[in-house]
Amino acid sequence: QGTIHPFRKTHKSVFGKLKQEFRLVTSDRRSWRILLFGALNLLCTGCLLMWCSSTNSMALTAYTYLTIFDLFSLITCLISSWVTMKKPSQLYSFGFDRLEVLAVFASTVLVQLGALFILKERCVCLPLTHTQTHSGRLLVGTFVALFFNLLTLLSVRNKPFTYVSEAASSSWLQEHVADLSRSLCGVIPGLSSVLLPRMNPFVLINMAGALSLCITYMLIEINNYNAVDTASAVAIALMTFGTMYPMSVYSGKVLLQTTPSHVIGQLDKLLREVSTLEGVLEVRNEHFWTVGFGSLAGSAHVRIRRDANEQLVLAHVTNRLLPLVSTLTVQIFKDDWTRPLLSGTLSSSPSPVPPLGPEGYAIPPSSSALPPLLSDPLTSTPSKPSSPPPEFAFDTPGRNVQQVVLPAAGHHAHGPYGGLGLAYGASPYAGMLSQGVARPGMPSSQSYRTAFGAPTLPLRFGTSNPLASQSQYRQYQP
Amino acid sequence: MVEVPNSRLTRYIVLLVVTKVLKALGIFESYDILKVVHIVQFIFILKLGSAVILLFFQKPFSSGKAISKRQWIKLLKHAVFSCIISLLGFFGLTLCGPLRTLLLFEHSDVVVIALLAVLFTSSGGGPSKVGGHRYYTTALESKTLPPNKKTVLDTASEGHHDSALTHFLYTAIAFLGVADHKGGVVLLVASLCLKVGFHTASRKLSVEIGGAKRLYALDNLVSAVVLLPWVIVLSATTESKVESWSSLILPFGMIILSVMILEFYVEAICNTKMETPRCARYGAVALFLSALLLANFWTHPLTDQLRSMSKPAQQLSTEHVLSGGVIVSAVFFIMASSILSSPSKKGQKGTLVGYSPEGTPLYNFMGDALQHTSQSLPRFIKDSLKQILEEYDSRQIFYFLCLNLAFTFVELFYGVWTNSLGLISDGFHMLFDCSALVLGLFAALMTRWKATRIFSYGYGRVEILSGFINGLFLMVIAFFVFVESVTRVLDPPNINTDMLTPVSVGGLLVNLVGICAFSHAHAHAHGGKGCSSNDHGHSHHGHSHSEHSHGGHGHSHGMNANMRGVFLHVLADTLGSVGVIISTILIRQFGWLIADPLCSLFIATLIFLSVIPLLKDACEVLLLRIPQENEKDLNSALEKIEKIEGVLSYRDPHFWRHSANMIAGTIHLQIMSDVVEQRIIQQVTAILKDAGVNNLSVQVEKEAYFQHMSGLSTGFQEVLAMTQQMESMKYLKDGTCIM
Repeated sequence: QGTIHPFRKTHKSVFGKLKQEFRLVTSDRRSWRILLFGALNLLCTGCLLMWCSSTNSMALTAYTYLTIFDLFSLITCLISSWVTMKKPSQLYSFGFDRLEVLAVFASTVLVQLGALFILKERCVCLPLTHTQTHSGRLLVGTFVALFFNLLTLLSVRNKPFTYVSEAASSSWLQEHVADLSRSLCGVIPGLSSVLLPRMNPFVLINMAGALSLCITYMLIEINNYNAVDTASAVAIALMTFGTMYPMSVYSGKVLLQTTPSHVIGQLDKLLREVSTLEGVLEVRNEHFWTVGFGSLAGSAHVRIRRDANEQLVLAHVTNRLLPLVSTLTVQIFKDDWTRPLLSGTLSSSPSPVPPLGPEGYAIPPSSSALPPLLSDPLTSTPSKPSSPPPEFAFDTPGRNVQQVVLPAAGHHAHGPYGGLGLAYGASPYAGMLSQGVARPGMPSSQSYRTAFGAPTLPLRFGTSNPLASQSQYRQYQP
Repeated sequence: MVEVPNSRLTRYIVLLVVTKVLKALGIFESYDILKVVHIVQFIFILKLGSAVILLFFQKPFSSGKAISKRQWIKLLKHAVFSCIISLLGFFGLTLCGPLRTLLLFEHSDVVVIALLAVLFTSSGGGPSKVGGHRYYTTALESKTLPPNKKTVLDTASEGHHDSALTHFLYTAIAFLGVADHKGGVVLLVASLCLKVGFHTASRKLSVEIGGAKRLYALDNLVSAVVLLPWVIVLSATTESKVESWSSLILPFGMIILSVMILEFYVEAICNTKMETPRCARYGAVALFLSALLLANFWTHPLTDQLRSMSKPAQQLSTEHVLSGGVIVSAVFFIMASSILSSPSKKGQKGTLVGYSPEGTPLYNFMGDALQHTSQSLPRFIKDSLKQILEEYDSRQIFYFLCLNLAFTFVELFYGVWTNSLGLISDGFHMLFDCSALVLGLFAALMTRWKATRIFSYGYGRVEILSGFINGLFLMVIAFFVFVESVTRVLDPPNINTDMLTPVSVGGLLVNLVGICAFSHAHAHAHGGKGCSSNDHGHSHHGHSHSEHSHGGHGHSHGMNANMRGVFLHVLADTLGSVGVIISTILIRQFGWLIADPLCSLFIATLIFLSVIPLLKDACEVLLLRIPQENEKDLNSALEKIEKIEGVLSYRDPHFWRHSANMIAGTIHLQIMSDVVEQRIIQQVTAILKDAGVNNLSVQVEKEAYFQHMSGLSTGFQEVLAMTQQMESMKYLKDGTCIM
């Protein structure tokens, strides 16, 4: 069992693969620019690290970590351009979009860990002797780092980080700056266009770090006050934490396969709509999560009535959810499907004719989609509740239960499918169109009902349908 | 002010403003009087005077119900406290001068409580309050900036003191090592907090006694009685600086009226007529502004007069002049109090989703928001402890964390005791390492949380993410150690090896315990749940064995990335201890200074290499790869599925490991139109369950489905137009139909 062997082998091929992928990436002109900036960044970081050790300043080290973070963000940028070229493979069936998220997460976490190290160093060094900080290259280093950081930030279009910084909740630093600038705008209204929009967190932290380094330099130069170096190192580390934390939370949540909270409202609406569809009893085990940044994937189990047409319901549910959820799997679930009565009539009858048109269509309109039938006491179909469907209970997770009475067994099974099929045979999709597509445009289940309440609407199924089905029902009532 | 006061309230506002101006005047005057009158005497006279007046107005004995003995005792306590607070307040006045006292001490309870709420609970309310807090602190800072006056402290400490009390306070402040005006500021802030707490506490008593006014009257009386013996002793032992008490009657009367009586009544009235925050705001603004004006124009008529007869004018230099800092801080205080006392608009965290049939708005609360607010902290701690001890993994981590922390604190205490810097720094390192354990513990705890709306699969994945973070953590550690040791290889420093051996041996012992515990945990977990599939264990089994020689590692290849991360952490620590011991021996025996950096270089490489598999596995899981150990099973399962009768083909097979014990999957099947869907679903689910997939969604599609779909999507555009037409109709209908 050469368990070590496959690892080595893949390791070797990993390098080869990396080379190949790198070549793939560099085939694009845009990535040249990223590589150029990466080289510059490496140079700058090296310089800064040298100055850090020569000035013995912790604050400058903390600031240098921001430069290193820029390097990470450039790498992330490269990865994201690589991801766009890759197709999903058999092993990674969702594609490599997640790599982007992982890169963002890893780089933000790494920077935070670096900041943690700075804090630790300070804690350890605090009781020790106060190290002498030489202010020699401090200011130069600050400005070089600031210049490079801003240059990198503003000239490289970093898609993943832009997305995350916009989508994540605003950081502690941003909140405070926004608050300050709001009160400043109260005094000088002219500044509102400059100060009020949401600041880019990276620019903000770079500026704030540079500012605190300048203050450090001044205090060391003027008062020879060395403890301020420690203080500003801690401040920069804390600011780094504050800036990176929301982003790592956001990307971490994507990695944890959580439902993004901003789509929950929309999803709820869609699910409510789905649960009011014809034949649907409940939607459960619904899992929705983001694959990469943006694209949703999801699965849900839909429990339907025994007499409902699975393919039709599936088509409707898919049609409803597909605009929002691009990778969707819907499992249709029926209780007691083994009972011969139903299955015999429904679909396992070996009819040579494809039963899609007549059968697929006969059931929904005849059963309860029509308002007159809803109030008919003689129908065995469960009438829809007239109040809005219950809110999704948040404490019962993953459940989306709508309390609907199970159909009284068998009543509907008496329904004359063949007869109906004959009656509807001629119009397979005319009614279908108007019924099915009218729904997705409607914003909520309420309006769905409203639309049906409109007096003109029953007409679209053809005038004869309701009466026909109703009379047939009456006929077959025992 | 934002809201325009309506005419009915204007009266009260004017009254309030006038009272506040009078109060400022009174405080200024009392500052001057306090220069000649002893503070205890002063307070006694104040209390007595106001008690006499209040007795006259309020008649606390003749009206209302009788006061029981128990209530008298409570009243006595109350009076003692109020005496202490006014003593502190007036002592602060003598130290800081009237303006600063007014700015600091005379805050309304509402403002202070709002400030404290912002300080100590993050949910105090919105950014505006935080802004107020910021102003407040800025004001405090600009206040503590030294105003240009010479400290009285030196003269005071060498000169005689009026009484033991002042002496005590002076020495206390001198002990704190701040200049006396700063001490005064601290004193005033402390007594302000005391005052607020006191007011809140006395509310109950005031209800018991029968009204705040009655309580106030009685309180003044009792405190006068309490202070009486002290005053008698004081006047008997020390000679008074005051020549003629008769000239002081008028100012005393004025102070009593303005500071004690009038203010109390007017504030009580205003608080009932207007809302409290508004009252506080107007009052504060009036008070601060008048204090500023008075400080500018106060020409000390009384002191001049008094000074001529009592003392040489030596204290002229200690006069508290108006400095720029004070003005700035006054402005800030006004802003802060107006912001803090503005009514907080309680932001709804939920989003409005619509209206209920009754017309009340419905809010959509996110599951997380509800979860955070629903538990109190002690209860949360208790529950989590219980949960931690329930399960094996988290219990192991918890015990080891306790052991580690105990060792760390022993080390730290011993380091502080013997003043050994090396020990202290090592203790901090250990503390730092504990953070990884805490992370692991938290993740192990979170894993068992129930699934919520947001975490629809449950929290199992947190474990993997925590393992990933721990892996990154170790990478960073290895990197730093590497860099450090490279610089040391180039220039080996001389190290002191005295303390190293016992500490590292102790650390080694602790970590060995950890390794034993965790490797056992892995074996346990492995045996317990890892046997669902047959060829599960050996595909991963020991490639670490041949790479490096730590035995437990092979077992740690269970699916639990979290435990692996924690284990690797402990392992790294152990390696560190071993390295220190070896390098100490080498340095002692042979004097090879280079051994230490070489050792750490080696350790860094080892850590790095051992972390790579963890990171790789965690990455694969996070990137939703097909689980490696189930790959073969899944492939054969897919082949089987294709062979099921009636199945035409399958598409979009996604299988991924969600957490340690959940493999999720989705698949779309195309089947013949004459097959029962549910049967296929059952078969497919069974097959895939055998392959290890335990959270599955199967979408079964017949030809009909595609025809439906194409039917649904072709006419989309025209129907969109139709729905827009219906939209306009819907708005008319909406109200009725919702009902």
